[in-house]
Amino acid sequence: MSLVRWNPARDLAAWPSDLFGMQREINRMFNNIFRGSEEGEDYALASWTPAVDIAEQDDEYTVKVELPGVNKDDVKITVESNMLTVRGEKKQEKETKKENYHRFERSYGSFQRSFTLPTAIVNDKIDAAFKDGVLTVHVPKAEEAKPKQIEVKVK
Amino acid sequence: MENKKNTAVVRACCNAMIPGAEGFEMIVCPAADIYETQDAFIVELDMPGLNKESITVTADARILSVSSAQTNEGTENGELLVNEIGKKRYQREFHLGTGIKLGEIHAEYCDGVLLVTLPKADEVKARQINIQ
Repeated sequence: MSLVRWNPARDLAAWPSDLFGMQREINRMFNNIFRGSEEGEDYALASWTPAVDIAEQDDEYTVKVELPGVNKDDVKITVESNMLTVRGEKKQEKETKKENYHRFERSYGSFQRSFTLPTAIVNDKIDAAFKDGVLTVHVPKAEEAKPKQIEVKVK
Repeated sequence: MENKKNTAVVRACCNAMIPGAEGFEMIVCPAADIYETQDAFIVELDMPGLNKESITVTADARILSVSSAQTNEGTENGELLVNEIGKKRYQREFHLGTGIKLGEIHAEYCDGVLLVTLPKADEVKARQINIQ
């Protein structure tokens, strides 16, 4: 039987606001079924998909990524024109023998998510913080993308 | 994975939506790894986005219970373009087998992971037996 990674947050959180996320999840499950998960597969080579929130404010986008147990130094954030990519790896640091595991539900291995942001952004002012397993990236909008208030003078 | 003796057997759990103060409240069952060392059972749970004060761990002779306050409290600015994380509470229970030192259970929270250590009672620890 193939092992399908259990992902607690997404099945609920994704519905109904993110049907594409659900689609992705279904695709992933099919991939797992058809590709098969071999006995003794190296977990370090597996990949997983962290959950993400993106909020838009007047002057910036805030991207939150859930990365519990990931080392700060193992996360890489890159920007190319309007595309923000967060990638990295969750390493399993403990050397516990497989037979000593009673349950193995958490995801390990590499992850990557990319987003195309809808407006121009200021690449060199992006900053990120990592706290309690949540990565928060602040992406400032370019000046021309910020909403402007134009005063209408009635003559 | 097969059950082993003396293990902390996990009660079936699932995510749920229950009516709360503001609409529906999401309760998430955090993913757990359970493994065994020579001296203890270790439970590791993915619970990102909390501070340690908002996590409650209780244990009696039969059940270890882990729960938390809501995540993402008071961060409601801007329009959400992607919403996979949301606001949620974590909750999960584990049945405890015998042979655990209840008084010495301890927990730590680091980088979004809660690690609960359940020390084994002396009589269930593996012992090396001298051959005479």
